[in-house]
Amino acid sequence: MEYTRKFTEKLSVEQVKIELLNTAYGNGNTFFASLDPRTLFIWYAYFGIFPWFIHDVKVLIGMFVFMLITTYMAKISPLIIVILCLGLLGQGGYLLIFSLFFGGNWSVMLPLLVLTVKLSVISLASITVFCSMNPEKLSNGLLKIGLPGQVSFSIAYGYRMLPTLLEEYHHVFQSFRLRGKAPAKHGFLYIKSIAYFVKLAMLSFYPLLLSTAKRARTTVEALETKGSMYGFNHPEVKKLKLAGLKMKKRDYYFLTGSFLYVICLFILL
Amino acid sequence: MGTLENRYTLTQSQKMMVFILSMSLYGLSNMITELVPSAYLGPIEFSIEYFAFIPLTLCILFHPLYAAIGASLGEVIFGEIMLGQFGGFGELEKFIAFSLAMYVAGTFVRDPRNRKQVAIAAILGVIIHQAISTMVDILKVWVGVEELEAVPGLAESVVVIEGFSFLNDVLFSGILFALLPTVYLVPRLYGKIEPLLGMKPRDRNDRYSLTEIIGPRLIVTGILLAASAFLFEFLSEAGFNVEWEADFLEMFGDWFIYVSLGVALIVAVITIAVMLNKKKNTTNNEKEEKAS
Repeated sequence: MEYTRKFTEKLSVEQVKIELLNTAYGNGNTFFASLDPRTLFIWYAYFGIFPWFIHDVKVLIGMFVFMLITTYMAKISPLIIVILCLGLLGQGGYLLIFSLFFGGNWSVMLPLLVLTVKLSVISLASITVFCSMNPEKLSNGLLKIGLPGQVSFSIAYGYRMLPTLLEEYHHVFQSFRLRGKAPAKHGFLYIKSIAYFVKLAMLSFYPLLLSTAKRARTTVEALETKGSMYGFNHPEVKKLKLAGLKMKKRDYYFLTGSFLYVICLFILL
Repeated sequence: MGTLENRYTLTQSQKMMVFILSMSLYGLSNMITELVPSAYLGPIEFSIEYFAFIPLTLCILFHPLYAAIGASLGEVIFGEIMLGQFGGFGELEKFIAFSLAMYVAGTFVRDPRNRKQVAIAAILGVIIHQAISTMVDILKVWVGVEELEAVPGLAESVVVIEGFSFLNDVLFSGILFALLPTVYLVPRLYGKIEPLLGMKPRDRNDRYSLTEIIGPRLIVTGILLAASAFLFEFLSEAGFNVEWEADFLEMFGDWFIYVSLGVALIVAVITIAVMLNKKKNTTNNEKEEKAS
């Protein structure tokens, strides 16, 4: 029962909802949150791509230090950082073990370390940028750089609907459990219980498919009455909606500062 | 509307309904799979990779294009952005690979009541998706690590690890979470779920119009070109080391990096432009159709 209890604890609906709202709206008063989304996109466009093509260790380490500073400034929750570190270490570790197995030696370490630094620069950049934007800002920014209105609508819709959907799923899941019969024995390594719960988790989607279909229809009808379909892709509506986005002085300072830092890295190192 | 050729056309709002349905459901399932812990047996990971049966079912029952794009977007929004794990450009690759795989699986099925077709489509979708993401993962290490050849054992180990996880995903997740539930769900939902969205069920005589298939095909060539650009980058790092002197090599290597970057950029821009154009055209056509 221990495993299943853990499982249900993790799935505690309230907990998930709180966690979600926290990641979405938790850090609204950092420096990055006050920047224009476009600034953040431009900044990310550089730090998300170029590290792949840089093989100079010193430059990479310089960038890594910069990323550490920005991540600290953005006040990212420690949980996300821990998950990231575990992922990076895990991948590097497996590669190391396997290459030792294939007759490599410890000289494998260095290139793998470089790869890890590279990956962490890229992922820290994305965490900094995307965790410091709340959903509203992100969807407005995406709309501004030319993504279709459906995308930004979907983000808003996701945040609005997810709690309801999760609750409904939870209800269906619990009623399946009530009506069904759990396996009498856990089996080897709880295999029977796990199989039972996974099967229920999948079966619960059958009623949910139908009810979500109904809900999708209601949503679209509501959108139609409000004229949103028209508004999605018409430039004038967009202009009105995005009038609040402005590049301020601090945006330019930030971009220039990062640019100068990178130039210095290339020249001095 | 083009009823003459029996073409499967949807109105704008029906497309939106399919899109929202697939987005919210697959997003929800993604969130659940992210929260469920995974079991390790040595290096083998037994985890619920994804509930691929949801987008597969929807792609088979409804218009595959909108269901596929909705599902990928749902994954990005619910599974990544909302959990604070958005990976930026890395998600783009997932997005394209997943929508492509689901779309192909959806178009493969002519008659949703035919279980054999549904089963083949389900496993086909998983294989395409996993194959693309495996290739991308291998390429990532090849591009990221300089002088891959010089490091003994690394190249083989990358291929072995990725190949193994490919097999694991297809045989374990593919059968348990894609094949069986899809075969179970599609015949049960056929004819029941469509009226809820106000449309008629897919007929075995329905055909998709060709113009919609050209779009994804263009994207595939785009991916291939981008991949070759990555390969060029890899060659410029590893292959020319032996033959050229150091100074010249650096110049040459740098040059190649910019060339490959440029190629990738151009390909991306062209693909996006073509897609935008196509979309504009179709919406215009629809408007005209509606007006007339």
